Parts: sequence; C-alpha cells; structure tokens
Amino acid sequence: MAVRSRSSRWVFVNTLSWRMVSHRFSFVLFIMLACAMLVFGRVQPVMVEGARTHAIDTMAPLLDAIARPMTAAENAIGNVKSYFALRVENEKLRASNMQLQQWQNAVVTLQNQNRELQNLLHFKTEPGMAYISARVIADTGGPFVRGLIVTAGKLDGVREGMAAMTGDGLIGRVIEAGDWSSRILLITDLNSRIPVTVMGSGDRAILAGDNSAQPKLMYLPQDSVLTAGARVVTSGHGGIFPPDLPVGAVVETARGAYSLMPLADLGRINYVRLVDFNLKGGAFNPIATKIQSENKKR
Amino acid sequence: MIDVVWQRLDSGARSALPFVTVLLCTFFSVVAWPLPHLGAVAPPLGLIALYYWAGHRPDLFRPSMAFIIGLLNDVLHSLPLGLSALLFVGAHQLILQQRRFFTGHSFYMTWFGFSLVIVIVMLLEWLAICLLRWQGLPFFPVLMQMMLAIVIFPLPCWLLIRLQRNVLSAG
Repeated sequence: MAVRSRSSRWVFVNTLSWRMVSHRFSFVLFIMLACAMLVFGRVQPVMVEGARTHAIDTMAPLLDAIARPMTAAENAIGNVKSYFALRVENEKLRASNMQLQQWQNAVVTLQNQNRELQNLLHFKTEPGMAYISARVIADTGGPFVRGLIVTAGKLDGVREGMAAMTGDGLIGRVIEAGDWSSRILLITDLNSRIPVTVMGSGDRAILAGDNSAQPKLMYLPQDSVLTAGARVVTSGHGGIFPPDLPVGAVVETARGAYSLMPLADLGRINYVRLVDFNLKGGAFNPIATKIQSENKKR
Repeated sequence: MIDVVWQRLDSGARSALPFVTVLLCTFFSVVAWPLPHLGAVAPPLGLIALYYWAGHRPDLFRPSMAFIIGLLNDVLHSLPLGLSALLFVGAHQLILQQRRFFTGHSFYMTWFGFSLVIVIVMLLEWLAICLLRWQGLPFFPVLMQMMLAIVIFPLPCWLLIRLQRNVLSAG
C-alpha cells in the first residue's frame, strides 16, 4: 500500500514538473518567435506588408459580416432622426435648391465659354477621373495608426496610391490593395505627407499628419501669412494626387504655425470614394479601361 | 458510436469557446462602430477577453493562443508584426503567475488586476512603437484607451462570466 502511494506521488510530481517545463518552454518559444517576427518585419518590410494585405483580404468577409449590423443600426438611427427633422430639412433643401439652380446656370455658361477658349488655344485637357465607391468595414486606427479597411480591392480596379475621398473632401490614400479589400492611410496619420496649395495666397506646403485631428502645414514659405479658414487643396505635385482636390481649411495654432481642419469628418466615415485620376488604362486598371473603351465607342 | 462522436464534438466546441470569444472580441474592436471618433480610442476588447480566460481557464487558453491573437491584433491594427504577440504572451504569463491574486478574491481584485495588466501592456506598446519609429508619439490617446478599457471592463467581464457558467460549467 505504502509502495503504491509513494509510486503514485512520484508519477504526480513527475507529471507536474513536466507540465511546468513544457509551459516554460512554450512561453520562451513564443517570446522568441515574436521577437524574430519583429526583426523580420524590419528587414523584409515589403514581404510582411504583402502578407498583412493577404491576411486582411482573407478576413474581409468576416469583418464585413460583423460590420453590416452596425451600419444597418446607424442607418436606422439616421432614418429616425431625419424623419423628425423632415420639415426643417425640407425648407433648407428648397432654399439650397434655388441657390443651386442659379449656380447651375452660371456653370453652364462658364463651361461653354471654357470649351470655346480651349478650342481657340488648342488646349490639351487633363484626363478625367473615375470613382470607385467602397464601404468601410473596419477602423484599424488605434492610438498609433489612423487607417481604414474598405470593401474594394484590385478586382474592382483599386490600386495603391489612389486618393480616398468622401463627399466633403480628401481623407487619405490607398496604401495596400488586396483582391477584395484595401487599406487606407488617413491624412491625420503620422506617416501621411501630401503636397497641398493654400487657395487665395497660392502658397505651397506639405500636409503632415501627426495622429491628431488637425494635421500640420509644413514647409510653408517663410514670409507667408495665411488667413484662418482659407481653403486648402491638393497641389498635384509629385504625381501623388490630382490637383485641386479639396482637403480642408487653415487653422492658426500658434504665431506663424498653421494646421488644417479636414473638410471631411474623419471620425464618422461609412463610405468612401476611391479616385482614379490616371485614365491611361492598362491591365492593372479594368475600370479605367472600360470607361475608355466606352468613350471610344461613343 | 454516433453518440461518442457527438460527445467529442460537443466537448471540443466547449473547449474552443475561450479562443473563439477572444478572436471575436479582437474583431469587434476594429469594426467601424456607429459611434463617432471611437476608432482612435476603441478599447482593446481582445485583451479583456484574454485576461478573463487566462485567469479563469488557463487550461483552455494557452500561450500559443495568446500568440495567435497577438498576431491577429498586429495585422488588424497595422502594428509591427510580432509586437502584440510578444506583449500578449507576456501578459498571459503575468496573469498566470498572479492568478490566485487576480481571480481568487473579489471582483474588485479582478478589476484591479486587469487595470494593472492593461497599463503595463499599453505602456510597453507605446514605448516599443516610439523606439521602433524613433519618434515621440502622443500619449493622450493611449491614456484615453486605457481609461476606457478599465471603465468598460465589468460589462464584457459580466458577459464572459455568463458564458462560462452557461456553456463551460454546463458541460
């Protein structure tokens, strides 16, 4: 009896120590594996980013399935709100409609005038823009990154570098495009740098994100004095974005230091428009090619 | 024979519950919520679930699972690959070592333990990213995220307790 008890105790102690050793071993193994991955990410960033895009692409349907009820709930709340504000909204729309009709008349006149002048000068027009609409399925931002994942990828014609906009203005650019989904880097992200022009003064600057709600306007000419509220648009330099995409308005933060208040509310984006401004076509851009072929047929 | 297969499937599904809940919580923390400006300070729901299961059922939530969840977190949040994996495995080990202290007493002790873990994890994450980018990043959003996670902790914790009682204990 005593022998059996001693033997079972030995087995118990042995199992316990084996479990402890195996646990310690797995802890050390995973710590080392994580460290190795960190180092590999620094050495081979392109490969790691490619793997990340592929992984997000694979997870996109699940993220989409989780995001759908959220979007539906927001739409339902919006519908109820708009129902109660129907009367006021209606009056506003009537006033806005009258104003827009006046603008439309002016635009038609100016468009005709512009076309005639362009014909006179044999002016070579810029290629038009194509838009791809996409729904936001994930807000990948945290305290360190400002980004979004949207439901449009290479198969929809999305390419890296395309501008991402809402109805109000520019919000960022596509940094990774998978087959079904894409990652957008917002203009407020620390790594975002966009060449811009301040309208009115014509001063050029670089819009630099700093993870705050208001990115900074850097590298302005030394003697430039900007007016608060002045409209800022993309300059088109560097070929990153087409010129004249609205971005935001100037805000003076300190004496001689300026930042930008984005036109779009970056905290509540449900849908984005990805702008393709390079309509030269090619295998990489099926939408642009389609638009071009349709234009040719006409 | 069929009964045995069903029994095994049932017990397998129950055993997978901790991992699946942590996985879903990680996905929920990145989904575009209908609350404006939440994205920058969205609480790390995955870490809350990880803390709960590593403390209450370490036999069903192992370091390998903490590693996988960490990798997923890195992919979804565009963080350096391996960083969250490293921190989550470390947090798992810390929770395991202090398990009696964190889960053996009252709920307030569990809450305090979580506060401690999230402060350590988020501070280390902030420091590591500052070092990796060689740039001082604003600390305020990190602080907000920490505070929000600590404040909302009882809600997901209550849901996880219900889940454990109804699914795992029933089995």
